[in-house]
Amino acid sequence: MRMSLQTLRVLEAFLENPTEELSGADVQKRGGLASGTLYPILLRLESAGWFVSRWEVIDPSSAGRPRRRLYRLTPSGLTRASEVFASFGRGVLA
Amino acid sequence: MNLLEWIDGFACWLIQHAARSAPPLLSERLEEEWLADLEAQRGRMARLRFGLGCCWATRVITNEHCAPKVPATASATGHKVIATYPQHDSSFFSRGATAFLLIVGLHGALIYALTTGLAHRMIEAIPQPIHAVFLQQPRTHNEPPRLQPQPKFSPPRVDEVPKPEIPFDVPPDPDAIREVAAQPQEPLLPPPTAPKVMNRLLGGPGKGFPNTDAYYPSAARRMGETGIAAVRVCVDDKGRLTADPTLAQSSGSANLDEGGLRLAKAGSGHYRPTTEDGLPVRSCYVFRIKFDLKDQ
Repeated sequence: MRMSLQTLRVLEAFLENPTEELSGADVQKRGGLASGTLYPILLRLESAGWFVSRWEVIDPSSAGRPRRRLYRLTPSGLTRASEVFASFGRGVLA
Repeated sequence: MNLLEWIDGFACWLIQHAARSAPPLLSERLEEEWLADLEAQRGRMARLRFGLGCCWATRVITNEHCAPKVPATASATGHKVIATYPQHDSSFFSRGATAFLLIVGLHGALIYALTTGLAHRMIEAIPQPIHAVFLQQPRTHNEPPRLQPQPKFSPPRVDEVPKPEIPFDVPPDPDAIREVAAQPQEPLLPPPTAPKVMNRLLGGPGKGFPNTDAYYPSAARRMGETGIAAVRVCVDDKGRLTADPTLAQSSGSANLDEGGLRLAKAGSGHYRPTTEDGLPVRSCYVFRIKFDLKDQ
């Protein structure tokens, strides 16, 4: 897995609360990434087993919006993301 | 459909077409996911950027999944993990289409900026139309001086005494008569005579006089300079200048003074001549030109 600065930002967004499920729009807001960069990273991390995703369970008519795709760190993804940050150090993202 | 609605529709269109150009296994998912995330974008420009970004994302995803991948693996949680996709050898945009979309996007952004905020600020930056008002000097009529009413002379009241009839036998003394004649008499004021009344109506800018807007110096307009320049002109009975106008009082701005002189010169033939008893005459007078950037 190639660790670009954008990938680290995506991981950082999830590491704030590793059990939290985030949509692409949430990650975009937290990481300040463009959609053209974000979604390939999400799919890349998902295909590598760092993330899992599922559809949000809501009633779109009552919620007034379509369901979102939610991403969450897998246990192995959490471990590897923590290792990455430990090796890079927090200063990388400063 | 206005521009803003068009931008929303265009962003949706971009996402739908980008998702449909993605690998087939991801196509439906990406379309639904991106359209849902598009709803979370605040602002039309953000939506447009999001749509354009999705086009780029499709290109990247497609390129990444063109090469054969390792067979899929399952995560510990049991969720299906995307690992492999069939080859997709078509790219969403050719170079020409990408350039076209880029140009369209830039134009859209420019039009949006102009219609929302930028144009408004530009209009504010442009100086407001100039409203010029000629301030005429107060017209002076040569009215006849008002004569002060002469105090009525009232001789002291003397009780009438009957004149005594005294016979004079004395011959008249000629010296005495001369003495009386030489006594200074009270000077008598000549009866006041009204001076010749002349109704003089001072001239000024007349019909067809040029508009001050055309002579408001652009430099002064940009700098927001306003003021009143007093210009002295000599005009014949036809309203034409007989000499170059001169500055009688500066406005405080050299630009405005120059503009005032140019305006005064350009107005030759359009001055209203001074009239005396209704007849136009040659005269020189001062009139003021107000340069003002008045709000609408």
